[in-house]
Amino acid sequence: METIGVMGAGIGAGLAAIGAGIGIGRLAASSVESIARQPEAAGDIRGAMILTAAFIEGAALFGEVICLLAVLAGGN
Amino acid sequence: MPLRNILIITAILFSGGTILAQHDAHPQQDHDTHTPDAVHQDDGAHSPADTAAHAAGAHETHHEPEAYNASASILHHILDTHDWEITEIPAGKDAAGKQLYRPISIPLPWFFYSSRDGFQVVGSTAALPEKGYVAVHDQLYALKAGATVHADAHGAVHLSEEELATIKDADVTLVDLSITRTSFQMLLIGILLVILFTGVARAYARRGSAAPKGFQSFMEPIILFIRDEVARPYLHNKADAFLPYLLTLFFFIWFCNILGLTPLNSNITGNISVTAALAILTFILTQVNASKDHWIHIFNTPGVPWWLKFGIPLMPVVEFIGLFTKPFALAIRLFANITAGHFMVLGLVSLIFIMGKNGESLIGGLAIAPLSVLFTLVIFCLETIVAIIQPFIFTLLTAVFIGMAMESHDHSHDHGHDHASDKHHH
Repeated sequence: METIGVMGAGIGAGLAAIGAGIGIGRLAASSVESIARQPEAAGDIRGAMILTAAFIEGAALFGEVICLLAVLAGGN
Repeated sequence: MPLRNILIITAILFSGGTILAQHDAHPQQDHDTHTPDAVHQDDGAHSPADTAAHAAGAHETHHEPEAYNASASILHHILDTHDWEITEIPAGKDAAGKQLYRPISIPLPWFFYSSRDGFQVVGSTAALPEKGYVAVHDQLYALKAGATVHADAHGAVHLSEEELATIKDADVTLVDLSITRTSFQMLLIGILLVILFTGVARAYARRGSAAPKGFQSFMEPIILFIRDEVARPYLHNKADAFLPYLLTLFFFIWFCNILGLTPLNSNITGNISVTAALAILTFILTQVNASKDHWIHIFNTPGVPWWLKFGIPLMPVVEFIGLFTKPFALAIRLFANITAGHFMVLGLVSLIFIMGKNGESLIGGLAIAPLSVLFTLVIFCLETIVAIIQPFIFTLLTAVFIGMAMESHDHSHDHGHDHASDKHHH
């Protein structure tokens, strides 16, 4: 039972990472595209990109922390 | 082509290390592996019989090397402790020929409130039993009258749950307020910041608008960056009032992160209590400086059908929870980023100990070492960037949250403009 719990946490951590990867990947793709299209706005775009990346990452980190808690609580 | 060669070499190194380690692992599989008493990195997973065995001095029978418990070792580095352990040095061998290690550590004082004796100050963990207390796995317990505990040569006490239950006085309420490793290092960082920045401030007072010099010229672009890219775009005309706090926040987190990357056994911003405290400060600043419109937006959100506000109060509930999730995310983000970095570095270093069977298999350790060191180096480069990105994001989001709460929605022109650009961003 514990093993399944730990395995679930591992799978969950992977899924959270996939979600964040897709999110930040799309964000980066369109930011780079925007910078290429409008290089003079690079500073603003970069600022917005970092801010938004932080929010996306935040959602993934909630997932990762829950997985970590599951492992620490279930592993003992 | 070169990339392919690198991949092949990596694969060979990996499989080679694994095979060697497996080879070494075979003879030990049916033996009882055992945690030594001198290495005080205790895994907390002692069976009572095991501990009783050491208490009786019966460990001569265990000649096998203990299994290296990577997760216990990593957690030992990540978690807060009551002494600042820098490293361990070899300290001879015991009767059974087992290598002993002596920790090089700075003992930090215990300071706690006990319902039995009032406020207590005890110099170090080793001195606790004299006063009628004991610390097991950094957790403080009161001893019953007349109970004695035996510490090993280095003052570490090993007790199982059962042994502890017989000697601890459960009626005594303890509130541990000690200066732990993390809080001690935080104080050091604080002192360092005061010294560095009073120097920089004095340089500005003395030199005026002349070109900056020395350390001042290192700090000036960073300070200006925070002012121009973080404070002013989000806090507008209130920027200068919040700038001292934002700068303190940025440099404090940054310096803590950098200290965490040194081999001084430091994990300040990877401690959830520290990041939570910083996030609570942001929360308080946000709510204290909130405009009337901020509260109107929460409890009477404009542009939302009335039945979502008063019929089914969904929007106010969501908005109200949002007040707390923002600082919560702030705390978790910093904590998780720094802890993840430490986990990765410690995990990669642990590979050497796992493959090397904790010193028994030299070949296994050597096989994995180059790969482990290379990966650790790569992670370190990444962590150096994370160490400055994270304080930037923390500071930026603090400014954004305060700016959002302070925003007043009744004047028309630049407000409309702000919203347009906000929508554009998201």
